Amino acid sequence: MKIQKYLLCSALLVAANQGMAVQAPQMQEETDSSGIQHQYTGGWEYFVGGGVAVFDCNNDQYPDLYFAGGAAPAALYINQSTLGQALKFNKNLVSSLALEAVTGAYPLDIDNDGILDLAVLRVGENILFKGLGNCQFENANKEWGFDGGSAWTTAFAATWESDNSKPSLAFGNYVDRSLPGSPFGTCHDTDFYRPDGAGKYSLNTPLSPGYCSLSLLFTDWNRSGTPSLKIANDRQYYRGEGQEQLWKIPAGTAPSRYTAKEGWQRQRIWGMGIAAADLTGDGKPDYYVTSMADNKLSTLASADGTPNFKDIARVRGVTAHRPFVGSSVLPSTGWHAQFEDVNNDSFSDLFVVKGNVEAMSDFALLDPNNLFLGTPQGKFIESAETANLLSLHRGRGGSLVDLNLDGLLDVVVVNREQNAQLWRNLGAGSNNKSAAMGNWLGLKIVQPEGNNRNAIGAFIEVRVADRTQSREITVGGGHAGDKAHWHHFGIGVAERAVARVQWPDGKWSPWIRLFANQHARISRDKSTADTWLPFASAKKLAEQ
Amino acid sequence: MSALTIILDSVVKFEKAVQEIGVHRKLENLVVTLLVMRMFSGFLGALRSCADLRDATAGFRIITLILGAVSLTATAATPESLIGDERAVKEHFAQDKIQTLSAAQVIKHGKMLFNAKFTALDGAGRPAATSSEVPVKKDPGISLAMFRTAGPDSNACAGCHNQPGSGGAGEFVVNVFASSGVTNVDFDTLEPQFSNERGTPHLHGSGLVELLAREMSAQLQVIRANAVEQARTSKQSVTAKLVAKGIDFGELIIGADGFIDISKIQGVDHDLIVRPFSQKGVFTSLRQFTINAMNAHHGIQSNERWGKQWTHSNDFDEDGYSNEISSGDLTAISVYQASIQTPVQILSQDNVLKQAALEGEQLFKSTDCTACHTQYLPLKSLVFAEPGPYNNAGNLRQSDGQPIYQYPLSSEGLSQDAQGNWLIPIFSDLKRHVIADSDKPHFANERLSQRFIAIDEFMSAKLWGVGSTAPFGHRGDVSTLMEVILHHGGEATDSRVKFEALSDLERRKIVEFLKSLQLTTAQESN
Repeated sequence: MKIQKYLLCSALLVAANQGMAVQAPQMQEETDSSGIQHQYTGGWEYFVGGGVAVFDCNNDQYPDLYFAGGAAPAALYINQSTLGQALKFNKNLVSSLALEAVTGAYPLDIDNDGILDLAVLRVGENILFKGLGNCQFENANKEWGFDGGSAWTTAFAATWESDNSKPSLAFGNYVDRSLPGSPFGTCHDTDFYRPDGAGKYSLNTPLSPGYCSLSLLFTDWNRSGTPSLKIANDRQYYRGEGQEQLWKIPAGTAPSRYTAKEGWQRQRIWGMGIAAADLTGDGKPDYYVTSMADNKLSTLASADGTPNFKDIARVRGVTAHRPFVGSSVLPSTGWHAQFEDVNNDSFSDLFVVKGNVEAMSDFALLDPNNLFLGTPQGKFIESAETANLLSLHRGRGGSLVDLNLDGLLDVVVVNREQNAQLWRNLGAGSNNKSAAMGNWLGLKIVQPEGNNRNAIGAFIEVRVADRTQSREITVGGGHAGDKAHWHHFGIGVAERAVARVQWPDGKWSPWIRLFANQHARISRDKSTADTWLPFASAKKLAEQ
Repeated sequence: MSALTIILDSVVKFEKAVQEIGVHRKLENLVVTLLVMRMFSGFLGALRSCADLRDATAGFRIITLILGAVSLTATAATPESLIGDERAVKEHFAQDKIQTLSAAQVIKHGKMLFNAKFTALDGAGRPAATSSEVPVKKDPGISLAMFRTAGPDSNACAGCHNQPGSGGAGEFVVNVFASSGVTNVDFDTLEPQFSNERGTPHLHGSGLVELLAREMSAQLQVIRANAVEQARTSKQSVTAKLVAKGIDFGELIIGADGFIDISKIQGVDHDLIVRPFSQKGVFTSLRQFTINAMNAHHGIQSNERWGKQWTHSNDFDEDGYSNEISSGDLTAISVYQASIQTPVQILSQDNVLKQAALEGEQLFKSTDCTACHTQYLPLKSLVFAEPGPYNNAGNLRQSDGQPIYQYPLSSEGLSQDAQGNWLIPIFSDLKRHVIADSDKPHFANERLSQRFIAIDEFMSAKLWGVGSTAPFGHRGDVSTLMEVILHHGGEATDSRVKFEALSDLERRKIVEFLKSLQLTTAQESN
């Protein structure tokens, strides 16, 4: 009878746990019907990179996609989707962006004209493209005094320092192939450009030593008001003192590395991509850095403002160290990572794009992307298969972004030597029909006048009851790509929330009142938000 | 009938069978049944069930009961009484079966729920959760089962909504403390900046109220949609007047870029959803309010708001019970409230008073009281669909794929206009107004801004039934109609001044008219 008793108890506990499974959104792959036909290809230089820049280039508020192509030309796809409907894109065939040797790209408004520009990373000369509107771009290297160099660039980040008229730019370079003994121990420095008084990028400061960076992020990790530069480095090629890095970037003076004496603890991983989100509720970003099996989730451990981080990947359930399907026990290879709320339950989820470097037999060859769903208790639950998001391609870059503006974040993945993939988030729906999950907000944060129109370096706080979600607005991170679009917040069962912004200069906005399931723009000069409706909803309602 | 109901009923049936063959004593019968009930009450319930199995034979009993219940599920038909059962709710409705039930069955169940004095066995109490409308854990520590301020503060809906009958209003003694339910709510509730004391309104005619609000919301949103489209097409700024059912809600300014300046919206939330419930006008639907109130006042938590999808827990309030109220139950109790009869005008048998009331009605209009207390709002359709179209996550939505229950509200006592609209004698414009100022500050007697609404702003009171619902004012602290009229300030100043300019007799005629707007205790309509 005792056996029966324990069996019964076990069954009850199992049943109870199953009943506690977090609800996964239903993803419907629409790659074939979306019009996206694009691969990231090429030889060794293109084993890394493969990013996608996500931004609205024609001011219709729907995000467009610029894919790195490696040895093949990069491609700009214009979003033709309508509210909540199937994902549709048209390739922009005459784009000046259709360059070869592109590893990645990052959208940002460099010249403060309200139109997003594009920093394009290449094996060879990097190019700053000035956005002209209506998805037209021109090479602005000369106009902005930018020397794109000839390095193998794989990472990028930008920040506005004090009142500079243009952002400071960091280009992370990988292996310096020209040095003897390359590739091992021949990592390239990171290039750090500050604008001069005339707004030209004449001041290039090498951040040396470089350790083969694959992701950069300017981030105010301790909320001091001055961001530092976090660098994920690939231990595959660095030697000696190589490690992850954090650089102090004091305005107007020379950058310097945080050292062990200052609390920095050496960490050596195959750093590939950086994602940031405040998971602990302390208002400070926590960082997920992808690697080969030893992905890290770092949270600030010190209380004295020193950069002493501890790894909480295991306790939070996001080690993602080997494939979660299939029989392989070989380690995984992680690339792009991004925190977002894909089921709008108000808890951050984590998407990790994975794929073997090429044919590394010591690592899993079939390596599915992970979708970790966050829970109120802080743990994450692997849900890619439940969400129909399973892919065994060799992933590189990616994005979680609302492509059809229905409040549900869709999925983009760039694959090496295979077609990029798109999934439409159907939420609680199925079979081509979406259904809402939790409530959400889509926020655009703007400084209408002056520099830094998109408030890079600001922190957004969204509060419901006595819980606050905090997010830093950044340009950088991920793997070779980023998005500049609506800042998406899931707010669960709350039908309203308040939000405020700590602007890049440290000043706070008032609390702004917001109702759920709306896009809204918070401007620095206003105490109320301006709302925005997707075009299709207007037509649909008017016809009713 | 939910699966849980079927299983429990089956357990009862099986238990009776076991009793008849003398396997269990009666006391064991009750204990074991309660264990099974706990067993179906989620994770903690499961743990407790295991912990309670102190001897080996108990485990066998449970297995036997489960097997028996399963075997009898197929044949279970009619719930039978369980000896010593202290649940107030012995049957739960499943939303996916709701359409198979008659209106009478649904309303009967809803009324039962409205009047039920919930017990711990129903899941009443929320030892680990606050009254917040979103899931919020309470600070650990001693937790009172019932707490007059922070709640749970009542056993039944009808415990407060009971004058002149179930679904009615309540007097001052049943005021509630409306707070945001933050973590340390137990200590903060009596602090005015964290909590507002509110009277208990009546629910008569509330189905019609919700339908009016839905139609107004739809009208406002179409105006917005058309204006946005016009702005985008013309690439020029467009200003749109927001008028619904003749009520002016200000205007929208849509920029050429399609962004909408909401700063000129008046008296309605800026998502243009008319929320007709509560004295602030901040709740969208009977269902939403009921879900809030079930948690705040009784500690009965709905899965729609506190279920595992949102909290990753089957028992967020840690009272040992899950599935405390089903979506079918919430539909039933919403439809019941919607069906409560419309208030009526009852004129006195005394001809002097009758004539005074009739003249008072005209004076009420001539003093422009009807500028806000609009006598009639036109309603196109009487069909009450539950859930409604404007629920957000946390309340069953029409998009959730569950059946929508359609219930035609009664037209008894309603007249129609030339266009066939039903004229609803609500005496409200369902709009918020500033109602206090420095000369007349009484109604600005709160310090907590509820749901974005300033403390001097309230939705125009729905005056139908006001003759039956003393005391008055949002706090229920004004004992006469005369006083409450004289407290009007802010946007109502002009009308109050006109009222004050009337003769004493004329003012009393207006009071006599208001007294004639009454609630009845007849059976629910339809």
